[in-house]
Amino acid sequence: MLEVRSLHAGYGRVPVLRDVSLQINPGEILLVLGPNGAGKSTLLRTIAGFIAPSAGEIRLDGQSIAGRSPESLVKRGLRLVLDGHRVFPELTVADNIRLGARSKRDAAQLTDQVLDIFPILREKYRAHARDLSGGQQQMLALGQAFVSRPSVLMCDEPSLGIAQALIPPILNFLRNWASNGTAVLIVEQQIGVALAMADRAMVLERGQVALAGTAASLRLDRRVQEIYLGFGDTDPANVA
Amino acid sequence: MDELVIILVRGVGVGAVFSLVAMSFNVVCNSSGILNFAQGNLLVMGGLCAYLLLPGDPEPIHWLVSLPLSALLVAAFLALQGWITLLPLRSSVEQHSWLITTMAVSVMIGAVILVWQGPFALNVRSPFPNFPLFGTRTPMSYLLAVACAVFWYVVLRWFHSRTQTGLAMSALSQDLDAARAAGIQVRRLQILSFAISGLIVGSSGFVAAPVIKISADSGISYVLNGFIAAVVGGLGNNLGALIGGPLVGVAAMFAAFRFGGQLQNAFSLALLIAVLMLRPQGLFGRMAARRV
Amino acid sequence: MSEAAANLAPAGQVSRPPGIVDRELCLGIAIIAIAILIPSLAGSIYWTYTVLLLGLYVTVAVLQNMLLGDAGQVSFGQGAVFGVAAYTCGIMAGMHGYGFATSLLFGIPAGILVGSLFALPALRVQGYYLGFVTLSAAVVFPELLVAFNDYTNGINGIRVNVPALNRPFFAGITPLCVIVFLLAAGALVLHAWLRRQRLGQRMVIAAASPEAAMTLGFSPGHVRSAAFVIAAVGTAMAGALYVPLVGFVSPSAFHVELSIFFFFSVIVGGQGRLIGPIAGVAVLYLLPNALLVDLVQYRLLGYGAVALLIMLLFPDGIVGTIAKRLGAGRPGAEFGELALAMPNSALATAARPGLAVDIADARKTYGKLAALDGVNLQVRAGSIHGLVGPNGSGKTTLLNAISGFIALDSGRIAALGRDTTSQAAWRTARLGIGRTFQTPRVFDALSIRENIEVAAAGPLQLPEAWTAAKPDQLPHAQRRLLEVLRVVASNAELLLLDEPAAGLSPAERRDFAQLLRTLRDRLGKTIVFVEHDLALVWRVADQITVLDAGRVIADGKPADIVAEKHVRALFTGAADA
Repeated sequence: MLEVRSLHAGYGRVPVLRDVSLQINPGEILLVLGPNGAGKSTLLRTIAGFIAPSAGEIRLDGQSIAGRSPESLVKRGLRLVLDGHRVFPELTVADNIRLGARSKRDAAQLTDQVLDIFPILREKYRAHARDLSGGQQQMLALGQAFVSRPSVLMCDEPSLGIAQALIPPILNFLRNWASNGTAVLIVEQQIGVALAMADRAMVLERGQVALAGTAASLRLDRRVQEIYLGFGDTDPANVA
Repeated sequence: MDELVIILVRGVGVGAVFSLVAMSFNVVCNSSGILNFAQGNLLVMGGLCAYLLLPGDPEPIHWLVSLPLSALLVAAFLALQGWITLLPLRSSVEQHSWLITTMAVSVMIGAVILVWQGPFALNVRSPFPNFPLFGTRTPMSYLLAVACAVFWYVVLRWFHSRTQTGLAMSALSQDLDAARAAGIQVRRLQILSFAISGLIVGSSGFVAAPVIKISADSGISYVLNGFIAAVVGGLGNNLGALIGGPLVGVAAMFAAFRFGGQLQNAFSLALLIAVLMLRPQGLFGRMAARRV
Repeated sequence: MSEAAANLAPAGQVSRPPGIVDRELCLGIAIIAIAILIPSLAGSIYWTYTVLLLGLYVTVAVLQNMLLGDAGQVSFGQGAVFGVAAYTCGIMAGMHGYGFATSLLFGIPAGILVGSLFALPALRVQGYYLGFVTLSAAVVFPELLVAFNDYTNGINGIRVNVPALNRPFFAGITPLCVIVFLLAAGALVLHAWLRRQRLGQRMVIAAASPEAAMTLGFSPGHVRSAAFVIAAVGTAMAGALYVPLVGFVSPSAFHVELSIFFFFSVIVGGQGRLIGPIAGVAVLYLLPNALLVDLVQYRLLGYGAVALLIMLLFPDGIVGTIAKRLGAGRPGAEFGELALAMPNSALATAARPGLAVDIADARKTYGKLAALDGVNLQVRAGSIHGLVGPNGSGKTTLLNAISGFIALDSGRIAALGRDTTSQAAWRTARLGIGRTFQTPRVFDALSIRENIEVAAAGPLQLPEAWTAAKPDQLPHAQRRLLEVLRVVASNAELLLLDEPAAGLSPAERRDFAQLLRTLRDRLGKTIVFVEHDLALVWRVADQITVLDAGRVIADGKPADIVAEKHVRALFTGAADA
């Protein structure tokens, strides 16, 4: 279980996050929404240990993890998948997955599962990751995270730069993954698709939590669209 | 004709030493972005090990035992140096402290050699006889240096593509943040890369000891020529280093024969500037191909 | 908030920023003066000599500090510049019998020439590549002195006596003392002064972001070259004075260690700190000498060890670390928030008929990816033009193409009536094309005021609070606005804005839309902007171009294209599935 309380963080002296709190339980998907520049990626990177928080608490299964390095957090079961489908381009698909595993046995067992879910990766198993399409690289990045058996998975914009057709299978994969007892935190722009499969959601605005609730309630909330699109009084279609 | 053969054979032999320094640069640079200025003096340290460990009239068996010992000694030193070099990178605002720390270590090694062994070059005798090649008698050490370069190239290739540790180290050079997110132990691997580069220069300094200049002030020349070999081949690329070294070596040897040894480095500098002006990514460079 | 609102109008009177560095400058000059005076008055010949030598080293190190800290140029070859000047003077005065004053006419230009030559590789390569080139030069220089011993007297060196400069005129003070003091203090004053000048600010910008430099209409290469030449002038003068001070030049005095010593001094003292080089030279030279005074052969070891220890204990250098500790508890200057400035009509652009931008069949591929796949775009002068499309559809690439940062594979671009297809970015910017970036190019080393002023055509009226405050405490969205303000202040005619409203609150977005309209209606600007906030685009744009996968899939007035199928898909993709 991941618990964040009154988190403040930023780059240098520039504050980005102000008083952010959240909690995710095993088996649950929490969706983080917000306009560009609201601090979503900063939130994930701070929890993952890339940025030291200036105040607040981050607890993983009750233990404080604020200020720990990203490497050590992976060992404790907290895994971040960065945005932009980042894999290691000069390594093969096989090696990319292998690097994610925490033990040889994990690698052997879980790799097969990944390849069953994403058959295209089996097809390109010996190809260099640089020769994959954006969507395939995203599958690979998720596969690499999957074999590390995280208890908390954080995923920054899994749909970024990916062909529309590939987004549902990727989000479904995350849904199934969560159902098996992993706590999943997703930042996503495609709020339509993402809200449909999330359990709970929160909206960040200028580094603060503007709205939070169940995914179902937020879907119906007009304010989500307003904040997301930035204008309170106009729907784009109405303007025209 | 004879002169040409000598230039070529010795140029390739000396060039193999440059290749080895270049590869040792690459190993550290790929994992940490640090260029270790001390690499030249550490090569000299490998040569110094040969001077100290080998008896005056060595047998091949002495040589075989002392070789791994020298490599390990230099590797241990480099691991320590790596640890020290990486220390301030945690807290400092400027990430260029390594420019100073590696140079400072280089200056200190040179100074210790000066204080300990005096200003004159040390001679090491090879246990192996000269061998005839195209009608000239060539010191075996040149051949051994070439073999050493090929050996390390093959080992590094195997290491980076076959072992889990080597893969993780390659991953580090391709995307540092993604590597950290994947749980790769960055600091440990970076120190390991320093140690590996120590194995490389330690063994090469030992193997080439009879034909390199082992003195307090010769390290800088090997650093420069090694760097030039790395740049000619494309910084970070070991195949480039393997080929770039002999190119630089032959050019330097040619300059030495034609214009005298004093102008050897001037010639290398001209080569460096030419490469940087015409093809800054080197022969096999990834710089242009890298994702931005 | 309103007190901070800027009136971006040319000001009648210029209020210069208060002297932030003045205290440091005075301290530095005082240290140099006292250091030279005490041993001279006390009559210690050894210490007078040492202090004067350090004065010359400080001069070189101060200029190296400017070169590294401000202009971002790594040079390990300043010792060679110093040496060339010294040796040329030595050869002319000692071997050819010219007077010392005459030899200066050869020595100083020779040093400047070599120092300026370093700028050539700097146009092509940066960072440690440049470091290695200059380091090689420093290694090769003494070797050449030996190789050409017919002209240089080789390892025997050259003896030169200049008694006129070494004769005390008052209680142990020689003319040389005065000259060295003036040179070292002059270098400090020059550095402090340069930082307030546009050239100095441009150095900082070119070092931090070459793209920003080009956007502001200057070539980063020219600025770098200027930095090398300025450093070379002072370094050559110091080198020339080495001759009367030491009275002897030999190759061993100008080994590579000298260049490394200069570089170390800057870093050990604290890169970018005005008086850092004084602390660096003092510690690196005096500490090993004082501790190991009887063991000359240990000096090299001592000075390597001191440099290593200082880096481990004071990672930001001596002065840098002390200043950081002292300033740690102090909060930054308060200035409220950057408000959207309503620009004054003095910045208006004359109306231009026709098209501000005309792009025909632009193509650009990266590897297999076609970033621009036959794009045609027309932007009417005096209009607001929105560019929308999913991530990776080529919007930013298109802005890069217009501003000249990328060269097209094929196609033509005309901007503000000129063909700019294959023109350097900084030349294109000079036509009156301003630009902002997704990641704003804001410079924390400059004050908020300077961040705006550096682009301004003339002096501006800006809030007092912006003079002292640094932008490092501004949140991201505010940094974007700061960049927009800079572009507006530069009086550009065509503004290219990349996601300017990202991170703004709804209220701020309304103000921002108003700003765009003001710029168009009152000042006659043309605005092209990329934006993800579709509602904002539809609200404010006169014309909208929709891109997808490097192609234009819709182009027209907001009301006309909203009904198109592609465009509707954009909305539903983002807002509702």
